[in-house]
Amino acid sequence: MNTPRLVIIDGVRTPFSKMGTDLARLGPEELGRIAVNALLTKTGLNPALIDEVIFGCVGQPADAANVARVIALRAGIPEHVPAFTVHRNCASGCEAVTQAYEKMLAGRGEIFVVGGTESMSQVPLLYIHQAAAKFAKLARAKSIGQRLGAMLSFRPADFKPRIGLQLGLTDPVCGLNMGETAEILAREYGVTRDKQDAFALESHARAIAARDKLDEEICPIYPPSTRAVVSSDNGPRKEQTIAALTKLKPVFDRKNGTVTAGNSSQITDGAVALLVMSEMKAAELGMTPIGAMTGYAYAGCDPQRMGLGPVYAIAEAERRTGITLDHADVVEINEAFAAQVIACLACLKSDEFAQKHLKRDHHVGKIPKDVLNVNGGAIALGHPVGATGARLILTSLKELNRRQGKRALISLCVGGGQGAAIWLERN
Amino acid sequence: MIVPRTESVTEVIRKVQDMPELIRRHVTDDQICVLTFDRPDSAANIFDKATLVDLNNHINFILCNSSLKGVVITSAKKSIFVAGADLTQLSKAKTPDELRDMIELGQSVFNRLAMINIPSVAAIHGACVGGGYEVCLACDYRIASPDKVTKIGLPETQLGIVPAWGGSTRLPRLIGLPKALDIILGGKTLAAKPALKCGMIDDIAPREYLVEKACQLILKRGAKLRVRPTKFMHRLAKVGPVLNFIAKKVQKQVLQKTRGHYPAITKALEVVTQGLTKSIDASLVLERDAILELGSTEACRNLIRIFFLQERAKKLSGVAADVAAESKVGPVKRITVVGAGIMGGGIAQWASSRDISVILRDINHDAIAKGLSGIAKIYDAGVKRHALTRVEARAGMDRISPSAVDVPLHSADVIVEAAVEKMDLKKKLFARLDELAGPNTILASNTSALSISEIATATKHPERVIGIHFFNPVHRMQLVEVVVGRQTAPEVVRRAVKFVQQIGKLPVVVRDAPGFLVNRILMPYLIEAGHLFENGARVEDVDECMLEFGMPMGPLRLIDEVGVDVSNHVAADLASKFSDRMHCPDVLSKMLADQLLGKKSGKGFYVHTKKGREPVVNPRIDKYHSGTSCAKLTRDELQTRMVLLMINESARCLEGGIVDEAADVDFGMIMGTGFAPFLGGPLRFADNVGLPQVVAEMKRLADEEPRFTPCSLLQTLAGTGQTFYKS
Repeated sequence: MNTPRLVIIDGVRTPFSKMGTDLARLGPEELGRIAVNALLTKTGLNPALIDEVIFGCVGQPADAANVARVIALRAGIPEHVPAFTVHRNCASGCEAVTQAYEKMLAGRGEIFVVGGTESMSQVPLLYIHQAAAKFAKLARAKSIGQRLGAMLSFRPADFKPRIGLQLGLTDPVCGLNMGETAEILAREYGVTRDKQDAFALESHARAIAARDKLDEEICPIYPPSTRAVVSSDNGPRKEQTIAALTKLKPVFDRKNGTVTAGNSSQITDGAVALLVMSEMKAAELGMTPIGAMTGYAYAGCDPQRMGLGPVYAIAEAERRTGITLDHADVVEINEAFAAQVIACLACLKSDEFAQKHLKRDHHVGKIPKDVLNVNGGAIALGHPVGATGARLILTSLKELNRRQGKRALISLCVGGGQGAAIWLERN
Repeated sequence: MIVPRTESVTEVIRKVQDMPELIRRHVTDDQICVLTFDRPDSAANIFDKATLVDLNNHINFILCNSSLKGVVITSAKKSIFVAGADLTQLSKAKTPDELRDMIELGQSVFNRLAMINIPSVAAIHGACVGGGYEVCLACDYRIASPDKVTKIGLPETQLGIVPAWGGSTRLPRLIGLPKALDIILGGKTLAAKPALKCGMIDDIAPREYLVEKACQLILKRGAKLRVRPTKFMHRLAKVGPVLNFIAKKVQKQVLQKTRGHYPAITKALEVVTQGLTKSIDASLVLERDAILELGSTEACRNLIRIFFLQERAKKLSGVAADVAAESKVGPVKRITVVGAGIMGGGIAQWASSRDISVILRDINHDAIAKGLSGIAKIYDAGVKRHALTRVEARAGMDRISPSAVDVPLHSADVIVEAAVEKMDLKKKLFARLDELAGPNTILASNTSALSISEIATATKHPERVIGIHFFNPVHRMQLVEVVVGRQTAPEVVRRAVKFVQQIGKLPVVVRDAPGFLVNRILMPYLIEAGHLFENGARVEDVDECMLEFGMPMGPLRLIDEVGVDVSNHVAADLASKFSDRMHCPDVLSKMLADQLLGKKSGKGFYVHTKKGREPVVNPRIDKYHSGTSCAKLTRDELQTRMVLLMINESARCLEGGIVDEAADVDFGMIMGTGFAPFLGGPLRFADNVGLPQVVAEMKRLADEEPRFTPCSLLQTLAGTGQTFYKS
């Protein structure tokens, strides 16, 4: 292939911690800073050589606008290196990498620090518009009378917060919560509660078994003003059982639903940083990459069935790269919901789906069990939305190296009706 | 803007005489005379005789020009307004008359400035201390920039003198007696914000607008600037009984703190309080007489010497001039600290606060977590003290990259190892660091006891191995020993010295020998204290006599602070190397066996209770007496013994070429141990006592206890009538 490749030199990530636990006090800028700092320390790269810093973040912090720039400066990257933040919902971490790829192809830089960061613990609560208007009125009030009047206009209901996280996980176009879109797939593709729970149990089991492997990706965090160390993910449950999963109540459709907190991805804090560069630059600097990116695709689909995004994206990636699914030695499909991943697997191997939705005669392919999400997925590890895309690249490349395989494919469904797919390979 | 300048006669004379222009004058369109201090070829402005004369000439010009509406005094320097009087000139004044002339000249020029009948405003940016602030006090109004370099105050008492160009007179009249005493007696310099709060300045404005703002102020407020209503509280403090009450109270505090060792502070109290009840002129006479009296004291001379030694350390190159000129390596940007314990953490914290990126390496996460939390505590305390802002503290923390695994260290300019004090471990470490480091990386050890030359043998590049020995607590102790091993390259010495200076510490270059300089001299002293105690001397007597001598802390208390375990280890180690004269007292190991570790365990020679409370002597400590031979010694005799041993070891250091000069020994001891600064250090003190007397005293003691035998350098000097310091 003649297109130049973007190589991934190395990557690190923070531990992934469930919302409200170990990392709850650290904002996305702090998580990102720690990851980038650890990456630079680990690789020993002179930060002045970096051409740009690109970070994905979904719940961008109000007190650290363009969080990528904040991360870059605080991680010790010199001020002459520019930085920007990208947002493609759950694929924001992928977007950061593909942006670097495009920039490299366009001749706009060779060395990039990319990644994603998310503190779902710190997504703020918001005031309703009506209350905001009253606050504005109060701020403008000059006389005591005006001020008193403005204050008296408040009603208890004005102080009921809008929960930012909930808003972020609701599609503003179709009006459905992400979980509700998963319920649709469960119904339409016959993904039973049992199948979903079994899938979730497998995710935990695999993540627990892979604990040492996953720890290789992790830079420990020393939360300030404690003497503690957080050095492992706290999502995977060793004692997870089918019985416990079966007991959980459906969250999104309480009466007839099948999607529970147990078979959905966990809400999590974490950040990932990757050092990527052109193949030529890596050779020049004498750095050995862990892998390379060969192509990618984003594709749109029905927002109400956003969970099928990977099917569209993988098909589109095949069209662009010519690489077929059966070439993948490792596949990661982000486990937003067990129902959604299972539905994707069904659609990928369905000729009917291919003909109806993908404008092709035959199905895309089958993914063997021992290739898909072999070290567990977001159901066990958690899904810090802006960071996950970058984690899948890191985790899959490490696994590809362990297996001495050639190619890896990572894919995510994206809220709003999109899919992302990236092809990676080992040298 | 070009403004035609009117040349006065004096100016013409100056040009004829080819004197450099020290103060530039410029008259604005609005008829405001701006005087800009701008000493040619110097980064600093100082008040020497020529500058005072120049200022006087400008005042003549102002008095001759009735069209002028006001005067603004400012500086053109980046970081200095006026750094006070020229200490070289002051200290070199041969006769009291010379000093008197200088004082009177300054007083009269500043007085004339104060009497000009148009408003005068000082526009301050940079260090504005001593005479520099006194000239501002003679102005009607003071505006300062909020920049970090702006420091305002009267540090004279720290040099053993009093502010005598009107500072002791005008400051209490401006800000009231209690606050003025706080500044003058403490020899304090303040940042702009606290200076504004206490009234030392009247306003803050950005550096770029200072002069403009001063001019506007003169145009707007005019003569009103000249009048300053006295506050009720200021007047109250002048009332006899109130004044006496304040004076007595402060005097008591001062005596408690200084034990009468710092006559300048007592004198300043006297001048300020008495001067306040008198006229300005009479008060100025008090100032003058006080400084003349103090200027002739040994304490004052010694304090000024230390000032110069500090300045010398800031500029030191540590090697011969040709080596210093040879290479140009930029400032240190990245270091690695190996070991996240108290010392390693302290070094990482300090370097990171000085804009340096630090990799903090230790073997496991818990050690790093502990180290980082210690560093955060130092930063938090700094924020509480207003030494730095929260943002600066966070930026400092951000510069520290922890790692519990090997990472590339090739970009580190300096690696400072601060791991456990075990030779085999250090050798292994250095062999590994030698591989990880880049070709230009300096490999430094913070060891306080082990041989640098021996550590260096573990590497392939012994020439880049050096000792950079910080003292605990790193963020408070200014002294750093730069230890030169047998094979250390001069270039590496130079870079290490530069690094120490870059991070605002004061280097002293020492040769590699057990204990280096400071610990080598301190240990015989601590050992002797232990020995005296063991043989019956009371803890109170041993410590009190050294406090009387002028040490900041008694030796037994110091052992508690350092930790009985650490003291015992260091003392035993050094004693094993100098067994002819040092023997580690058994009392320390006995205390260790009983878990009396000093401050960290709550009990040692003292019982350490809560933070901030003075520890009391451990009531059960008497059982550790094992003899009675020293029980009857007076405090004077105790003091003599301990001091003599320090002098002797100091002389040995000089004799053995650990340092090049007597001044290095004295500087090291004062900065490293707080050795009575007003005595000028152990060797200066010995010179002043008289070496023959020192030797005689030692010989007398040596009859019974051979460790008091004076070293041959002492004997030779005493025998030939020489001293440690020439002239």
